[in-house]
Amino acid sequence: MPLDTSTYALALLRLDGRRWNELRRIHAQISTQAAADGSSYLEMGNTQVICTVTGPAEGRNTGAGRSGGKEGEANLEVEIGFAGFSGVDRKRRGKGDKRTAEMAHTLSTAFSSLILMHLYPHSTISIHINILSQDGSILAACINAATLALVDAGVPMTDYLVACTAASSPTTSTSAGSDDVSDPLLDLNAMEEQELPFLTLATVGGGEKITVLVMETRVRVERIEGMLAVGIEGCKRVKDILDGVVRGFGV
Amino acid sequence: MAPQALLSPLHQADGSATYSANGYSVIGAVNGPVEVSRRDELPEEAAIEVNVRPAAGVGGPRERHLESLIQSTLRHIILTRAHPRTLIQVTLQVTSLPEEESSVGDGSGFSFSSLPVLPPLLTTATLALLSASIPLSTTLSATLVAITAAGKIKCAPTAAELVRASAKVSSLHVFAFSVGRALLLAESEGDFEFGAWESACEVAEDACCKSVEGMEVDGEVENGQEFLRGVVEGKVGREMRWRTAA
Amino acid sequence: MPRAAEISVNEREFILQGLKENIRLDGRPFDAFRSLELNFGDEHGVADVQLGKTRVIARVSAEVTAPFVDRKFDGIFNISTEFSPMASPAFEIGRPTEAENILSRILEKAIRRSGALDTESLCIIAGLKCFSLRADLHVLDHDGGLIDASCIAVIAALQHFRRPDVAVEGENATIFSIREREPIPLSILHHPICVTFSYYNAGGIMLVDANLAEEQVREGEVVITMNRHGEVCQIAKYGGVSVDALALLNCTSVALEKVKDITKFIQRRLEEDAKKRDVGGLIAELSAENAR
Repeated sequence: MPLDTSTYALALLRLDGRRWNELRRIHAQISTQAAADGSSYLEMGNTQVICTVTGPAEGRNTGAGRSGGKEGEANLEVEIGFAGFSGVDRKRRGKGDKRTAEMAHTLSTAFSSLILMHLYPHSTISIHINILSQDGSILAACINAATLALVDAGVPMTDYLVACTAASSPTTSTSAGSDDVSDPLLDLNAMEEQELPFLTLATVGGGEKITVLVMETRVRVERIEGMLAVGIEGCKRVKDILDGVVRGFGV
Repeated sequence: MAPQALLSPLHQADGSATYSANGYSVIGAVNGPVEVSRRDELPEEAAIEVNVRPAAGVGGPRERHLESLIQSTLRHIILTRAHPRTLIQVTLQVTSLPEEESSVGDGSGFSFSSLPVLPPLLTTATLALLSASIPLSTTLSATLVAITAAGKIKCAPTAAELVRASAKVSSLHVFAFSVGRALLLAESEGDFEFGAWESACEVAEDACCKSVEGMEVDGEVENGQEFLRGVVEGKVGREMRWRTAA
Repeated sequence: MPRAAEISVNEREFILQGLKENIRLDGRPFDAFRSLELNFGDEHGVADVQLGKTRVIARVSAEVTAPFVDRKFDGIFNISTEFSPMASPAFEIGRPTEAENILSRILEKAIRRSGALDTESLCIIAGLKCFSLRADLHVLDHDGGLIDASCIAVIAALQHFRRPDVAVEGENATIFSIREREPIPLSILHHPICVTFSYYNAGGIMLVDANLAEEQVREGEVVITMNRHGEVCQIAKYGGVSVDALALLNCTSVALEKVKDITKFIQRRLEEDAKKRDVGGLIAELSAENAR
């Protein structure tokens, strides 16, 4: 089903009624599971994710020499599970799925550079993420949920890692007329993800510097700048929301 | 085409070799002696792991079968007791096949025998082991022998000859010999008389080990062992050039 | 299972110190690729790429199968990457390492998802028969830059490959062997090439095409896949050091330049190879004229 860009052009609204630079509703909670060292629940629109963090603790396979982490540093394990009912089609994603493995790899490398790993040599910090409902921006939701859960667990980090998605849609302004002009969109849902070239980006503490950038669709190089700018702006707002959740919990 | 070999073409592996003959090209690498997993560790000798990887696709039963043949052959020529509780990894990657064999996969249903690729694999493994300086009790040379229905024995037939006479080749044999002319491996398929097998074995032994004194006018007459020796001599000669020049 | 030797503290310091003084160990400028070599096998669809000491062989092969039920009009294309202990004793068969997963994912996104190969042209009879193409990637020597080298190898092998000709009559398809009819090249829509940038010194230093030692000491990397028309097919930065957005945009323009060079290089090598193959044909043609 093609994205109805004509509606967008007329009313400047997207399918779900948002403007181009509007985030979906983000609702988050921390300390949702009492048993885990740290946990969080995050909704970005209809994408729902729960995350638990265990550790720093003695790892399962430390000692045997295969700790995986660098010498004198903690090891970060990430496991991502998709609930069978999370998507539209009930396709099971096995453990060996490369897309899931790639997401887990992204989270583990991104957080490894943010957590003060050298404080916990010979230990393992593990992040378990379960995706309850998929509606676009899944990697971004995972990163945000993991940040909250790590904060809840009291794992020392330099700053928040916040993420969102940005896309680029064909222009609606009739004045420009050239093909180079495109309109960026913020925070995509699943339908928009299928239609438009988009990227997921994560910044440290909502600043200007990009830690994670993943793009899987083909797009003209000129359009990337706009997508990055909107994405960075979105990350800033996500940071404020997450910060509010953490501070609200402390009260 | 005369067989060609190159020692140590790779940088990362401890020893490596490429060998091509009769349309087959194989690249082999040896890592060893290296750390071994607890599961494979042998208390008094080195474990040998052979990996055969086909040119296209992932390995199947055919490759596993070749691996077991090569592993049990190499186990007897490597001085495994010199490196107890270690691992010697031999990886053999087939890089090109004769046209006849690679085009067979086009769904015609006829599966090519797994034997013709065995001699190049064995030779590559030996060369790679030499390149890695793994202590060996002897070097090994191998050849393929075909016996036609008419009882004719053909040594080292090309793939084209095998396919053309497809109806006529009644059996295929692979023999491997040590320097001391000891038979290290004999693998046969097809139907044949024991007498025919014996004469095939003799032909193979000649091809692998027979000394050809006084016949060096014809460059083609070079047995398998001499070929190996020539390759290694060539490499040592090149590496020692600085010394001979001085 | 053996593990790869980790780089020593001294070596690490040495490389980093060198980089701070604008020197790479092999004397290259920061934005230079290592020497690239590309050779084709005797058969069609075999490309042997050497990028410095890294060596990768890609082999494309085709067979006829039934298409997927949900994609009746598309052929099948797969890239298979399996590391062997040949490249490094740390690679184990049957247990993919993280690096292997990432390589196969990036190639998948760069080549398959970006639609480099026109899979519809591989269809013979809709829903019944199609070509199933597979590219096998053999890593022979690993000295860094595996993703870049592998992508070049697969793209070159695809361009070099010729599939058998087919004739369709109603429900029947005849597949002609190479001897019967001249095989035909694949329809390739664009040529994506990967360029890996490595970051050092908290993102202050950026290297193109790091070798293995440089890869082991880097703080972060970004893989950018582009084609020569200036389209970005894929970007992957899985964490590591944080980088300014402007620096990343700068990367894309550097990548575009490299991609143009490499695409041109592949094209030149393909033409040279075609000329080499055609020698017999040309002479044969000439002699036929003389006979007349």
